[in-house]
Amino acid sequence: MRGKFLKVAVAATATAMLATACSGGGNDNESAGESGGTLRVYNAEPAFLTPSGGDDEPSLYVIRQLYRGLVKYNAETSAVEMDLAESVESTDQKLWTIKLKSGYTFDNGEPVNADAFLRSWNYAAYGPNAQNNGYFMKRIAGKADVAPADPDGEGPKKAPAPTAETMSGLKKVDDLTFTVELDAPFSGFPTTIGYPGFFPMAQACVDDIAKCNETPIGNGPYKIDGSWQHNVAINLVRSESWKGEAGKPDRIEYRIFADIDAGYAAFQAGELDVLYTLPPARYKEAKAQYGDRMYESPGDSFTYVGMPLYQDTFKDKRIRQALSLSIDRQSIIDAVFDGRFTPATGYVAPTFEGAREGVCKYCAKDVEKAKQLLAEAGGWPAGEKLILWANAGAGHDLWLQAVGDQIKEALGIDYELKVNLQFAEYLETADQKKFTGGFRLGWGPDYPFMETFLYPLYGTGAGSNNSGYTNEAFDALMKEGDSADSIQAAIPSYQKAEDLLGEDLPVIPMWWNKVGAVYSENVDQFVWNAVSDADYGAISLKQN
Amino acid sequence: MGRYVIRRLLQFIPTVLGTMFLLHYMTSLAIQFSGNPVRALFGDRTPDPALLQAITERLGYADPCLDQRGNPCFGLFLDRLQNIFFHFDFGINLRQREVTELVADAIPFTLKLLVIAIVFEAVVGIAAGVLAGLRGGSFTDYLVKISTVFVISVPIFVLGLVVREFVGVKFGNVLRGQDWIPDVIASGMFSPGFKPDYPFASLIIPGMVLGAVSLATTARLTRTSIMENIRADYVRTAKAKGLTNKRVIGVHTLRNSLIPVITFLGVDIGAAMAGAVVTETIFNVPGIGRLVTLSARTGESSVVVGVVTMLVLVVLVANLLVDLLYAVLDPRIRYE
Repeated sequence: MRGKFLKVAVAATATAMLATACSGGGNDNESAGESGGTLRVYNAEPAFLTPSGGDDEPSLYVIRQLYRGLVKYNAETSAVEMDLAESVESTDQKLWTIKLKSGYTFDNGEPVNADAFLRSWNYAAYGPNAQNNGYFMKRIAGKADVAPADPDGEGPKKAPAPTAETMSGLKKVDDLTFTVELDAPFSGFPTTIGYPGFFPMAQACVDDIAKCNETPIGNGPYKIDGSWQHNVAINLVRSESWKGEAGKPDRIEYRIFADIDAGYAAFQAGELDVLYTLPPARYKEAKAQYGDRMYESPGDSFTYVGMPLYQDTFKDKRIRQALSLSIDRQSIIDAVFDGRFTPATGYVAPTFEGAREGVCKYCAKDVEKAKQLLAEAGGWPAGEKLILWANAGAGHDLWLQAVGDQIKEALGIDYELKVNLQFAEYLETADQKKFTGGFRLGWGPDYPFMETFLYPLYGTGAGSNNSGYTNEAFDALMKEGDSADSIQAAIPSYQKAEDLLGEDLPVIPMWWNKVGAVYSENVDQFVWNAVSDADYGAISLKQN
Repeated sequence: MGRYVIRRLLQFIPTVLGTMFLLHYMTSLAIQFSGNPVRALFGDRTPDPALLQAITERLGYADPCLDQRGNPCFGLFLDRLQNIFFHFDFGINLRQREVTELVADAIPFTLKLLVIAIVFEAVVGIAAGVLAGLRGGSFTDYLVKISTVFVISVPIFVLGLVVREFVGVKFGNVLRGQDWIPDVIASGMFSPGFKPDYPFASLIIPGMVLGAVSLATTARLTRTSIMENIRADYVRTAKAKGLTNKRVIGVHTLRNSLIPVITFLGVDIGAAMAGAVVTETIFNVPGIGRLVTLSARTGESSVVVGVVTMLVLVVLVANLLVDLLYAVLDPRIRYE
């Protein structure tokens, strides 16, 4: 029942984009699930269990129950709510003042104060520590001093030694207050700090990070029972030091699987209560078999076909528009993916505040218009093949071939698939801008704020701008949004920026994923958080 | 005997070094041709060059020879040998865990699985072979012949998946629905994969799958061997002396018939290790095999080199033991 309600709630936010669905939150009290019991969930082997290191899905699923951060996200609306922070405020969007609630401690008794956050962020950012989540500290002033870039951008050579150990933008005011200065104003800053990379770490943890990785010292509603049994299991029990709202299950057991197929077999055999994803080949079967115990909602993982704007052939936007107009996305989704995706008509995930349908006017099939645009642009260079790139071994060649066939049928352009590069080399090719045709890539949000889908991918010189797109008007609109007074005030500027993309098509949007999870009969209320996914601490079990 | 063992042990050295170099060369080629595996860790998020650099260095992928296609990276190989043999340091994987630690975690599971597999194939295989061999052309003989052909012709990954789906999930669910069946059987033994709650019971079926293919070969070998020996002169003599049937079969026939079977079982430990790569992945057993699969997928050369080197040592030692066992079984064989 709960699952169905959430589905409706998420769909409502997706279309209406109003916070009205918030009223649904009140239901929690009248039908609140009872607490107790053991929740057994599927997981893959995490990379790290420290906030500074874990940036992959399996790690985050565990870290989110062991640790808590400044803010959390509303399950239905993904709005930012204060968690350990009393307030996160700024007058100029550049200097942020963060006040903490008092009384919170780590499992080892250390207080969760300003130092706990500064320590964790500085540790993650410091280059020689080689922490994966150092990436997320990029906006904080002084990041370049603690992790200097390779001077010639060539690698592999020794990176220059950092000139500072802590970021100059972080300043402690008193025990429960600190300020964060950013390199440039960013109105979405409060939405970013709910990511586990910004969670606090105890001094004892930083002192012996290897031990803390095996036996985490958390500050969240759960703590580890024993230590991390690598490749086998991670067991969490309630933490008595947690002062906030308690989790529903008494115990959470993560069983670690090598692949999702083995996990699905274990779920079928009744050994798991939650399987947060499904093996693609079993999707239809699962839907038929588990029906009301399957949770589905629109996701926010984006698949696109990038256009190498650094190649002459792709410089004219009419060519890109023509290519996009020749693709019937829904038919590919149905034929190749059993309908597991939603066709993309814009650049921002449909679940996000500020997302609109139909931003891209060239994302529905229209062969006549495509032919016309191609003719206006002077036609496709004679004798040249359209090359379509994807990384090997991940099944992308199937749908990319369908894309090629549709373009060939519509515009008569011969195509060639180039799908022999392994992922690492493929990404290096992307970084070095050496693609010779359309290339498959994806993107997932880092925080629930429109900007995460825009600047990193299309801003001039931005890290993941693999198309080499440059548009001054776009950059200016992004800046305008970044320095807006609030999260809401930033949306109109970002929407205007997105409109530019819808016209220029630096990448051809393909589709958004759909979340598909199944849960067992033991589960009373299933909770899926729009940002942080399955929320194990909030899932209640039937008590008997 | 002593000299023979020493000679064999000396032969280990070039074998191990050769294997290690091949592994080193192949994993280096993989990096040279398919890119820095550290970059793949970040996926669509282009990492900060400084961060990429720091992690690459920590993992030992920063050597410039890894950028030159075809370069055998001798320098890197010597460093690796030095670390392994002088410091017992096998390096770390992409998640910065020690390879020795990974192996230490995984080995108990693989050993248990192997013991189950070998015991299963030895006991059931030899018994079936003896029954079939003693009564050639009987119903049992045909049953053994046909069922073994069937098992041999099904590849282990098909057998594994079918067993997981139909025995672990479907049949297991029927058992789990019955109250009178103890949990250790219903949800332990008939679990579709390894289960930490039943660390031994849940390995029985994966072990049997692993042993199944060799079981068929064992049964057929035993059968042929018995049929041959039962017509041998010394068996006829034994019978003529008036010895009991039990003694004729148990001591005179079986002992001599087992020589090829023992050789096969010894060599089979190596094959079973290879089979474990498939079986452990299907049944989610956190052992050596699954470790190799996962690290080959992500291109963790240190893990592949370390683990496969250890596997090679295991196979070499097993082969030596089998050869020594020969002398015990067959008095005609002597090692000088």
